[in-house]
Amino acid sequence: MTRQRPNYVAGLGSLVWLGLVGLPLYVLLLATVRTRADYSTEGPLSLPAEWTVQNYLTDLSNGFGQDFLNTLAVTAAVVAIVLLVVPPLAYAIVRARGRATGWVFRLFLLGLAIPAQAVIVPMFYLISKAGLYDHLIGVILPTAAFCLPVCTLVLTGAMRDISPELYEAMAMDGASPARVFRQLVLPLSKGGLSSIVVFAALQAWNGFLFPLILTQSDSTKVVTLGLYEFQTEHGVDVPGLLSAVVLSTLPVFVVYLFARRALVQGLTGVGGK
Amino acid sequence: MTSVPKSGAGVIRPGFVWAAPAALFFLLFAIVPLLLVAVLSFTHWDGISEPRFNGLDNWTALVHDPVMIQSVWITLLLTVLGVATQTPVSILLGVWAAGHQRNRAVLSAIYFVPLLLSATAVSLVWRAVLDPNFGVPSQLTWLFGDGNLLGSQSGAIAVLTFVGVWQFTPLHALIYQGGARAIPQVLYQAAAIDGAGTVRQFFHITLPQLRNTVITSTVLMVAGGLTTFDTVLILTQGGPGTDTTVSAFHMYQKAFKSFDFGAGSAIALVLVVIATLISLAVVRLSGYDRMRGTTEGL
Amino acid sequence: MGSRFTAIAAATVLVLGMTAACGSGGSSSDAGSGTIRVMVYGDATNKVEKQIVETFNKTSKVKVVLDTVPGADYQQKLQTVINTPQAPDVFFNWGGGSIQPFVKADLLLPLDDFIAQDPGLKSNFLPSVFNSAVVDGKPYGVPMRGTQPVLLFHNKKVLADAGLTPPKTWDELVAAAKALKAKGVTPIALGGADRWPTLMWFEYLYDRIAGPGLFQRAVGGDQSAWAGEDSRRALSTLRELVDTGAFGSNFDSVKFTDGGSPALVAKGKAAFELMGSWYYSTQQDGNPEFAKSGLGYTGFPTVNGGKGDPADVVGNTNNFYSVVKKTKHPEAAAAFLKLMYSEEFVKAQLAVGNLPTTVNTGDFLDTSASPAYSKYQYELVKAAPSFQLSWDQAYPPSASTPLQTAVQQFFDGKLDADGFIKAMQALPGS
Repeated sequence: MTRQRPNYVAGLGSLVWLGLVGLPLYVLLLATVRTRADYSTEGPLSLPAEWTVQNYLTDLSNGFGQDFLNTLAVTAAVVAIVLLVVPPLAYAIVRARGRATGWVFRLFLLGLAIPAQAVIVPMFYLISKAGLYDHLIGVILPTAAFCLPVCTLVLTGAMRDISPELYEAMAMDGASPARVFRQLVLPLSKGGLSSIVVFAALQAWNGFLFPLILTQSDSTKVVTLGLYEFQTEHGVDVPGLLSAVVLSTLPVFVVYLFARRALVQGLTGVGGK
Repeated sequence: MTSVPKSGAGVIRPGFVWAAPAALFFLLFAIVPLLLVAVLSFTHWDGISEPRFNGLDNWTALVHDPVMIQSVWITLLLTVLGVATQTPVSILLGVWAAGHQRNRAVLSAIYFVPLLLSATAVSLVWRAVLDPNFGVPSQLTWLFGDGNLLGSQSGAIAVLTFVGVWQFTPLHALIYQGGARAIPQVLYQAAAIDGAGTVRQFFHITLPQLRNTVITSTVLMVAGGLTTFDTVLILTQGGPGTDTTVSAFHMYQKAFKSFDFGAGSAIALVLVVIATLISLAVVRLSGYDRMRGTTEGL
Repeated sequence: MGSRFTAIAAATVLVLGMTAACGSGGSSSDAGSGTIRVMVYGDATNKVEKQIVETFNKTSKVKVVLDTVPGADYQQKLQTVINTPQAPDVFFNWGGGSIQPFVKADLLLPLDDFIAQDPGLKSNFLPSVFNSAVVDGKPYGVPMRGTQPVLLFHNKKVLADAGLTPPKTWDELVAAAKALKAKGVTPIALGGADRWPTLMWFEYLYDRIAGPGLFQRAVGGDQSAWAGEDSRRALSTLRELVDTGAFGSNFDSVKFTDGGSPALVAKGKAAFELMGSWYYSTQQDGNPEFAKSGLGYTGFPTVNGGKGDPADVVGNTNNFYSVVKKTKHPEAAAAFLKLMYSEEFVKAQLAVGNLPTTVNTGDFLDTSASPAYSKYQYELVKAAPSFQLSWDQAYPPSASTPLQTAVQQFFDGKLDADGFIKAMQALPGS
């Protein structure tokens, strides 16, 4: 399997890339363990004169924990919605022969490229009319909706790989669609399911535009918004801000370490050929 | 709406009812807003009183809005620059990562970290890193001069392009990695027997074999480029002046800063039309409509 | 077609509404009876607002609930809730243009009745400040924080090293800029990436050269004001200063809000910075040593042959509480507003470095965090014949983006005087 000759061009490119990725990450991580004064006098590239974890502690006591819980709630709810509606849809798309289902699939394909920015104004209108403005649920619903096209695409792909013979075998036993779904489709599309969970979770965790427009209070703030508003609220504090950046990424990073394959698949689902 | 499972040729198939919840949900939160944006583009609405129809006013204003026209050009420029810079880097990185040596697994784990950060986080980190007085430019003056990166049009566009490369290359590299792994090894073995070197193999086998992947990745880059928003909001605020005011940011400013939601909706509709054309291109070029498996080869 | 669409939209709203009913979270759920909701701009000085609310709630039957809305997007959030069921009863604003759209939409309660019952709600405040929340002849706001005149700050040591004294006239400022530049110091720090710091230079020069009348006419709808000779002179004077390199070359990459430009001054890399009076606490926060001993301040220099009174100031006159017409408890709101001239309020504001604008503020200046600085500002504001509200606050919010863009482009050299005048004339007026 391994190729015989090393690819020097790509290897060189990868080294350059290491530098490009590494530099800002180096600045980011170092800045979080030095004091404000140290950052502005020593510059971001030098090693800190004294090391500190105070930045992280300050962030946590400044309500970043609350932001965290809100984001967690949004993420869990978005994943739940996606898991509730996408698998049956994907099953129908793969197995149903009705014209309506075909139209639904086409609708979702079209929805693949609708940018969230394009609907933010009417979304704001609908959400505030419905009295959901500044409620987490008002963020959850549109976020989940905008996950659907990609998740559907990924999951239909996975379900399509289930061989038709298996379906036929179950049909011979007289199994209902519900049983086929439960006993055949779901167990055999685990990879696709974990991909869509990761994709939806990342979208929700890193989402910015919907919370920016649809919430306003401290009690509904999510982490991305907390980062964006950091300066206005806590004054000028670059190390504090960058610590918050690190904190906001920590959960994703943990997932990355333990479930790299599912994460990668979830991310590339949209682009997988 | 029929909810009875249809049976055809002896096989029991799921009915439309299985698709209904997702379809309904998507209809409510994506399609209805999409239609509503079209309606709102023919209204005057300041967010305080109810929307009021004003005919074609927003559209005539839009056609004569120099910032809108400029924003379309800037959006296109950033998109083209994004594709032109991200594609070669992603291909190289993806092909490299497709190898199976052990160190690659470790290194690529580091390489793909930008993928994990939100656009908000990426922009904030770069804003701090590129600060002319307290960021990296202050310590590397031989490279950055006075550090006036975000204060000039060329500098700001260069920064946005560069941050785009940093942020999106990992995703596209992963896509290329999948593509490269799917290339049959026999092709390389045959070429090696013919005495073709690595470089020739790359140009004569790898690139041609990645053609479909290039199309998919490019289409995604274009879609992403046309809707650039978070990085502009945080890094440049559309400035200096209106030099980096992309269409999506112009829409945001019109709607949520100047409280002219009707004008904002008109811009949004332009975005939707462009996005739809791209979506159709995705369907056409990538073969999604032929309903192939999507995760194979990863 | 139309009705069908409406039906779909209505159905959507209905479904959303039902989910809302079982949804949770959010602080802006129905306030219920017996409370009024007060919405303020969330930042580091919120503790005073919290303290005053506590005081009020101790005696009042109707309780105040304080909502702090963080972020530079306060105006946006306010605009989007003010005509919804989640609207606050009382809210923070900047007076002037910032409340004008609400007045026009008939959403605000004129405070005439409150004042009739308690004349102190007007007479206890400095008139120049109180008046900036008067719209169409009716008062709509009560000052609720500190006044923030714009001052010219400098680094004492940098000036002394260059053998300079703080400039009293524009010519002295230009000469100082040239001397400092020759020494390799950036003469004036400017957070151009934020745009509004750049605007302050226009506000002062227009006032010094043309007097406050020009802008008053312009914002009142007389577009010819921008095209006059005074306007052109102000622009060419400004152009000259920029062209001498007084602001350095990278000011549009620098921000005030992330601490960039103040650090330049504190570290002696730049000599001057034109900024609102909050600059003092900004420096105290980021560079305490410098704030204590190295930071100097003066008013804006006079300009030779200018029509404006050299004692005029520009800036944020104050922030205001306005009352929403729909409020269920106007009496409670009135009682709450009365606290804004109480002794407790004045002392608490002074303690956090704000300078309240009640007539009795002068009596308590010794209790301030930095008495000398507070006294200087208070005398400046009290003696000012004109206190011009920042242009971007005097215009309605819709003018803010084009205004700030034009200002930045003029400094960049992308707009010449004609281009700038045209951009000003095109601003959406009142």
